[in-house]
Amino acid sequence: MPFASPLALLGLLFIPVVVAMYLLRLRRTETVVPSTLLWRRLAADVEANAPWQKLRRSLLFLLQLLLVLILAFLAARPFVERPAGLARDLVLIVDTSASMGATDVLPDRLAAAKDASLAALKDLPSGGRVSVIEAGRTARIVATGTADLGRIRQAIESIRPSVGRGDLGDALALAQQLAIQSGDAEVLVATDAALAVPPATKVDAPIRVLRVGDPKGSRNQAIVALAIRTAGSGVTSSVFVSVANLDLEPATRRLEFWADDRLAESRSIRIGAQQRADVVVDNIGDKDHPVTIVEVRLVAGDQEAGRPDLLAADDRAWAVVPSLTPRDILVVGEGDPYLETALTHLPNARLFGLKPAQYPAGAVRTDGTDWDLIIFEGFVPATLPATPILAIAPPTSSGLGGVTGTLRNPGIATLGIDEPILRYVDLTTTHIAEARQLVLPGWARSVIPGPKGAPLLYSGIRAGLPTAVLAFEPRRSDLPLQVAFPILLANLTGELLGGSAAPAAAVKPGDPVVLAVPSGMAGLHVVAPDGRAVDLLPGAAGGPSVTYTQTDQLGVYVATPIAAPAAASGSPGPSTRPSTTPGPGASGASGASGSAGASGAPPKVVDPTAPIRFAVDLFDVDESAIAPGSERVLVDLGAARPAPGASAVPGGAADSVANRPNARDELWIPIVLIVLVGLCVEWSLYHRDALQRTWRSLAARIRRPAPGSGT
Amino acid sequence: MTIADGRAPNPTDGAGRPPAGDGAAGRGAGRPVFLPSDIDQTVFDEAFLRQLERLLLLLRAPVRGGLKGGRRSIKRGQSVEFADYREYALGDDLRQLDWNVLARLEKLFVKLFIEEEDVTITVLIDGSASMATGRPDKLQFAKRAAAALGYIGLASEDKVAVSVLGGRMARRRTALRGSGRVLRLLGDLSAIAPADGPTDLVAAARHAAAQLSGRGVVILISDLLDPAADRVIRELASTRSELIVLHVLSPDELDPPLEGDLRLVDSETGESIDVTADLATIDAYRERLTAWKESFAHLAARRQATYVDLATDTPLNELIFAELRRRRVLG
Repeated sequence: MPFASPLALLGLLFIPVVVAMYLLRLRRTETVVPSTLLWRRLAADVEANAPWQKLRRSLLFLLQLLLVLILAFLAARPFVERPAGLARDLVLIVDTSASMGATDVLPDRLAAAKDASLAALKDLPSGGRVSVIEAGRTARIVATGTADLGRIRQAIESIRPSVGRGDLGDALALAQQLAIQSGDAEVLVATDAALAVPPATKVDAPIRVLRVGDPKGSRNQAIVALAIRTAGSGVTSSVFVSVANLDLEPATRRLEFWADDRLAESRSIRIGAQQRADVVVDNIGDKDHPVTIVEVRLVAGDQEAGRPDLLAADDRAWAVVPSLTPRDILVVGEGDPYLETALTHLPNARLFGLKPAQYPAGAVRTDGTDWDLIIFEGFVPATLPATPILAIAPPTSSGLGGVTGTLRNPGIATLGIDEPILRYVDLTTTHIAEARQLVLPGWARSVIPGPKGAPLLYSGIRAGLPTAVLAFEPRRSDLPLQVAFPILLANLTGELLGGSAAPAAAVKPGDPVVLAVPSGMAGLHVVAPDGRAVDLLPGAAGGPSVTYTQTDQLGVYVATPIAAPAAASGSPGPSTRPSTTPGPGASGASGASGSAGASGAPPKVVDPTAPIRFAVDLFDVDESAIAPGSERVLVDLGAARPAPGASAVPGGAADSVANRPNARDELWIPIVLIVLVGLCVEWSLYHRDALQRTWRSLAARIRRPAPGSGT
Repeated sequence: MTIADGRAPNPTDGAGRPPAGDGAAGRGAGRPVFLPSDIDQTVFDEAFLRQLERLLLLLRAPVRGGLKGGRRSIKRGQSVEFADYREYALGDDLRQLDWNVLARLEKLFVKLFIEEEDVTITVLIDGSASMATGRPDKLQFAKRAAAALGYIGLASEDKVAVSVLGGRMARRRTALRGSGRVLRLLGDLSAIAPADGPTDLVAAARHAAAQLSGRGVVILISDLLDPAADRVIRELASTRSELIVLHVLSPDELDPPLEGDLRLVDSETGESIDVTADLATIDAYRERLTAWKESFAHLAARRQATYVDLATDTPLNELIFAELRRRRVLG
């Protein structure tokens, strides 16, 4: 029998040590007894004054010799060899997509995949190296080319489930890079083969699939869409939920609507096989009872007797309720149908119009309140109101900024990728016929840069009031004809009204989120659903936004603005971006402040410290379809496996297989069991007197006390 | 619990009277028993002594004593217990004539009565060094048993003599008679100390046998831890006295709490032997001890002696009122 560590057999030298310990005479404890008369024939057979004694036959002694022998044998690591079933360089890919959380195999498919992977490693040839790749949303190498089975096991155990879509193609590409460096490589994929999008990456090594999951395990219903819209009345919100049944049988499920952790509504729905059901719930919250977060839970229906479906990740969804406060927007201008149409589609907004001639007299409201936003279209009043302002194509310089001329066919310079106002806005095909040539004031940032540094759109906080200036009239461009226009307008008004800091739609797990940093704030403190927190600071001081990438959990994330050092020590009121260059509108700005004071009503300002919430939801029908697929899709991506009888061309694949070392099965488990049994027997032998005494004591207690002995 | 070292106040002396001397204690219903303060009151309290007074050391056969006592004698005498009739002979006491028989048969018969005489109870206490070992102490146990049996003898108007076996001889104390001598008896017992060196129990027993005079009762209280202990029984049984052997062993000797590799040192001789006290050894020891005691019991039975094996943790009450009565030593 071969040994992996034959030098450990030197441990057999301990056998003479054990024998010597038995040969050495014991140091005995002296005990005075009344008489040694009755002990004489029971005395130990020893020679007085001799340091050594005769070696007597003792079961304990033999047992200890046997234990030393077995331990030395164990340390030498005996093994038996058999043909290896895997290549010398193995790339193990473990699928961690959301569908791997299905519980058709207990505890879940990912755990089964790990177990199957560890079991498969027994076929690894001696000295075989293993790389482990975690195939989540992106592929991640957790172990690279190591032959240490302990590290491999640790790496596999460290793999955690994800709640998003997995990308096996990315993982296979990575595996290809690892495999091409070896002449004898193989890719082992542990997956349920429930592939949302079948990968197309070819690998120059054979692919073997460890498929996990019950082939009939498709019992899953999922929330695939959740949206909240303000009702037509503008008073309450409505929740739209879409539930898909991915099972091959109809299912009855119950939908629970939780408003800020309180159960607001419960609906029982029956969904046909492979069908979807849409549910609308009205009147979720109102002005008096505002709701911040709506959570929808898909639970077992009454007929299922509490039996949940197989995937829990898609049974819950969250949405952030937009503010129900109606926003009054006043448009002062000659009237732009494109602008007005886009504005009417803004949620929670009431639109009012005035001709420039009617301003400012017509802008005074009878209830004494201020407008939430005033849009000056091709017109700027001499005195700026103390409200958020969007100025479109200002004809002259004012407190909003300087106008130095007109630009013909201005091009759009490079856009900032982290500009929140431009989120989802595609301006690559936008053409502008004419625009005002503006001077960027100190309180603003350039959102759409134009030629020669002249901004086409800038935004900022002017005297504590959100303000933006668009250099061109929409109708003087083809922007109103593009999808980007309503999105840009929604983002712009959202920032001016204080509501665009958070993503409007649900975020996919793993997707980065661009969060706007309120002016005057140093950054954002983002808390994940599990309480994990991180502080994000813009790359440049005073940057407009930060990017949060740790959206790997489902739920609601809360971002709290971090006060800048100066703002933290100052007043808690709204802060403004400090103006370093007064510019032509500086006097106008002060004039606007004076006007605000004269109007008697406090100006509406945006609270920069208000928390920003956004939800991360799965909403992936492909991942919710958990029925295990065919491994053939993956196997076909790999190279052909060399036939067993193929001739071994030097350097070829068959040659690599022929020269592949055998797999080793170390025999330490049975040996350790033998050692444990031996130790137990030795312990029992050593303590047999105590055990017998205890047993006799117990037996004596159980028996009735015997009468006094006598003759 | 000791005889000599007790310092407890006398519970019967509640009035503050000084402890009475030897003559204060004695037999008699209703008479208080006053014990000196150096006597352990918890052992020999008044109630216990009253119970002892009702006991009698049983003999296998009537004995011939010296003085008139409380035991049936082989002689006919003056007791109240009728024994037989005999034809009147000249010189007989006319007071013993049975007038009823004369009236009925017109013949002269005298009534014969059992004569009651005393016997000498000799208590031999093994004073070897091995008796000073054990928990409880075997010598202390022997003293207490001797005190109780001695008191019973004194209360029965027998003569009681204490003899201590130590070295190669027996040191016999003066024989005492009458219950009034009980404190003297207790004092003699309290003065007994274990021998310093080794004891030749056979020689000492032979010496004690030589000191016996006439028939009586010999009570040997010993652990018999002597290689020739059987000869001790033979020597004492060969006297004309009735032999009662109280074989005293401590619980430690009956069930040794020993474990491991030990060197056992003899308390008398200082000899040592090495023993591995595992359960098998302890079991073998117990078997040997049982066989050893049975050999004494058989020997005693053959020699018309009484053998009683005792453990020193036996309470004195149980020893006197249960164990010795059950063995027909006391009645």
